[in-house]
Amino acid sequence: MHPRRATFWALYLPPVAWVGLFFLVPLVLMFALSFRADMQGELLGPWRPGLTQYEAIFAVGSYWRLLAISIGMALAVAAAAVTLAYPIAYFLVFRAGRAAGICLVILMIPFWTSFLLRVMSWKFLLGSEGVINSLLSYLNVISEPLGGLLYSRNAVVITLIYVWVPFAALPIYAALQRIDHELLESAADLGARPWAGFRAVTFPLSLTGVLASFFMVFIPTVGEYVTPLLIGGSSGSMFGNIIQDFFTKAANWPRGAALSIVMLAITLVLVAIAARVVNVRRLLG
Amino acid sequence: MIASRAIAHPPRPGFLGAYFAGLAILLYLPLAVLLLFSFNAGTSLSFPVQDLTLDWYRKLFDSPEVLRAARNSIIVAVGSGSAATLLGTAVAILLTRFRFRGESALFAIALLPLVVPIVVLAVALLVLFLAIGIDRSLWTVGIGHTVVALPFVVLIVTARLAGFDRDLEDAAMDLGARYPKVLARIVLPLIAPAIVSAWLVAFTVSLDEFALALFLAGNDATFPVYLFSQLRFASRLPVMIALAVLMMVATLLLVLLAEWIRRRGATARAA
Amino acid sequence: MLTMLRRLFLIPVLLALSIAACSQKSEDKEVAQTSGKLAVLDWAGYDAADFWIDFKNKYPDAAVGFEIGSSDADIYGKMKAGTQADIFHVYTGWLQFYVDEGLVEEIDVTKLQNWSKVPESFRIIGQFNGKQYFLPWDWGFTSILYRTDKVKGTIDSWTALHDPKYQGHIATWDDGPGMVTVSSYIHQYDETAITPEQLAAIKAEWIKQRKLNLFYWAGEPELIDAMANGDVWVAYAWQGAYATLLGQGVPVAYADPKEGRNSWVGAYGIRKGTPNKDLALRFLDEKLAEATASNVVNQFYYGVANQEVMQGITDPALKQAFSIDDPTVLQRTNFTPNLTARQRDDWTAMWTEVKAAP
Repeated sequence: MHPRRATFWALYLPPVAWVGLFFLVPLVLMFALSFRADMQGELLGPWRPGLTQYEAIFAVGSYWRLLAISIGMALAVAAAAVTLAYPIAYFLVFRAGRAAGICLVILMIPFWTSFLLRVMSWKFLLGSEGVINSLLSYLNVISEPLGGLLYSRNAVVITLIYVWVPFAALPIYAALQRIDHELLESAADLGARPWAGFRAVTFPLSLTGVLASFFMVFIPTVGEYVTPLLIGGSSGSMFGNIIQDFFTKAANWPRGAALSIVMLAITLVLVAIAARVVNVRRLLG
Repeated sequence: MIASRAIAHPPRPGFLGAYFAGLAILLYLPLAVLLLFSFNAGTSLSFPVQDLTLDWYRKLFDSPEVLRAARNSIIVAVGSGSAATLLGTAVAILLTRFRFRGESALFAIALLPLVVPIVVLAVALLVLFLAIGIDRSLWTVGIGHTVVALPFVVLIVTARLAGFDRDLEDAAMDLGARYPKVLARIVLPLIAPAIVSAWLVAFTVSLDEFALALFLAGNDATFPVYLFSQLRFASRLPVMIALAVLMMVATLLLVLLAEWIRRRGATARAA
Repeated sequence: MLTMLRRLFLIPVLLALSIAACSQKSEDKEVAQTSGKLAVLDWAGYDAADFWIDFKNKYPDAAVGFEIGSSDADIYGKMKAGTQADIFHVYTGWLQFYVDEGLVEEIDVTKLQNWSKVPESFRIIGQFNGKQYFLPWDWGFTSILYRTDKVKGTIDSWTALHDPKYQGHIATWDDGPGMVTVSSYIHQYDETAITPEQLAAIKAEWIKQRKLNLFYWAGEPELIDAMANGDVWVAYAWQGAYATLLGQGVPVAYADPKEGRNSWVGAYGIRKGTPNKDLALRFLDEKLAEATASNVVNQFYYGVANQEVMQGITDPALKQAFSIDDPTVLQRTNFTPNLTARQRDDWTAMWTEVKAAP
């Protein structure tokens, strides 16, 4: 076999086999499960497929309104996270020098601590009798504790941005590494203004990273449920919470599966449209 | 020539450095709170902070289950992180260096785990493993984590490889090198930092992951699952906090140590 | 550089392989040594040795492994999916499904030495069609827990959860069937026969309540922290939270609503078809024993089916929490009936619509 062909198959088969068995097969199982009318009888035994679950979920308008809201929240989080992360990536590539690696790890370490414990700390800091409120009322800046810091949709968006920024920096960091420093420095030596270099060279070359980062944040955030569960309060639920509830509170796997399939389909359509608009194929090279 | 350039333009923190420092402070603030409470004699996270004590750290070393849970988490994270990095890098190379039918499909499928809510994947994998007859264990958790981390690796490494200057590769092949060697000797070393950051992300995704671990772990709990099971006891919370703080401090120290060693090595070589 | 990369990747792979090899060896050792291995599907926290200490001491050669379930629905789903757990732990409301679907073995009570300590009122909770399918084990109340320093007067009705006076400081449990129960107490509905019109009214009521509610708690620790730091003043709560807050010195009271408190019971069942039926039965028997039961009361602040242990409680906070000194409280208490599959589906779906509402 031509070595390049052999390389191709060596690279192609392991990931495809893994994803095929441990992702696509379960996904198909879920898809099949969504056509089940209920949980009665042997789960893996034969049953008559039907559209009961899909009829039931499409009859509830508030689910789809919530999905639209979740998508909106995800867009906001992704846009903000990518924007806030760009300077971090730039810093790592162009300013941190040899310390870039360690700076990267410094960003990651907080995420090796339990998210649950960190949220508990935030509740301690932001609660109505917490540090921030106590300090502000001691300084007479406020007379009543600030309510909106926790247990609201805004709190969820802010927390999600906070949590995503370090991760969002990474694809941008990766893309910025392609840039030849010496090229930029030569341009600067020859008298080009710093912003010109950025606009003409750096930013366009970093676009793959920016896009990768945006999708990396946007896609999972649509189905996010942990953060809304911990700090969203009663009115801060996202679509993911509804799906989660059908699995872990309702024991209604078929309905949860149906909701997931629809969310999956809609997100894929959105991503496909975006990919078309951006012409991903050309960017991949 | 390059060495002199490095000395002529040392890292300049400036405004961006301050921005980075600001973000780091925000990220570490809750950890500072946890550090404070790991020394707190009381058992709830509220003011006032009572007497300070080292009791919780002492108790930690008497709690083999806590340490075992932490060990399990690290094992799974290292394993699944490495597997995801291997598979994801392979996919990234395929997408940016080869032309084949089904390229878009491969890209879509590699990213698909991002779209599927994790609880759906957890339940589906549970059903799959029970149907096939695979006993649930840290291995099954690792398999789930690899699937979930894969999209991150693909995105990061692809961002690095896309539009990558192929002159070096083409030159090497013109000189007679076979493609696998070109990949191994030229491409991988150059994109190593991206691969390492991808591994870091995959490792991080796995370390604190709860939903898959809850469904797919057999009798060996990972740390997030163990923490969840202990939360009911207010008295056990400080020990868990002590462990979390300890793990963080230990990692920080290890990283600083590695950096110090590397710098020693670098200056030694320069001299 | 590449050799370094290769080494870097090799290390975790080798690590993983050697760990697998080690765990394999230790598994073989276990099978050879012990007289049996039990797998228990239980709730978070109950895997601690204190809560099966009698079994541990009496049968040192038996190994017990725990799988954690996060809710009744989670445990039911895992049992349906075919988990190989020998024993599982579920609560009133969810017991009927296992009997209907043939997932639970009958318990031979003649083999239980501690069965005599369980009063009849608890025994019948685990009985279906005249047979004992479940072993009642832990129990408790549900009522309204409130901060006496933030709430004027006493609370004596479930309507407190809907009271606009406490806007932004109310917290209820994240559970649809639980809220249907509360509404049925308030409006005197028949809990076992809720009509679609009643369900729609209940849904509207809780959507309205959402504006007053701060968050839905999933577990007691969340609620305890929020009540301790003053975010929550009035809550739907179990007595475990009450006892814990009393112990922390927070000024709280546990209501005696005129509609009556709710009570729930947790029970253990043996999975149908388990090969370890005898060992499982012994495990259940030792669950009722004194040391185990005492630990549950003193560490979890939950009641136990072992009446001797309940009558032996001396801690004043616990006596208050269980209303031990008020023997008539049980007459005013409503016990959670078992749901039908239809009710489960309808009421849980109703709750998701409450959360999704604009």
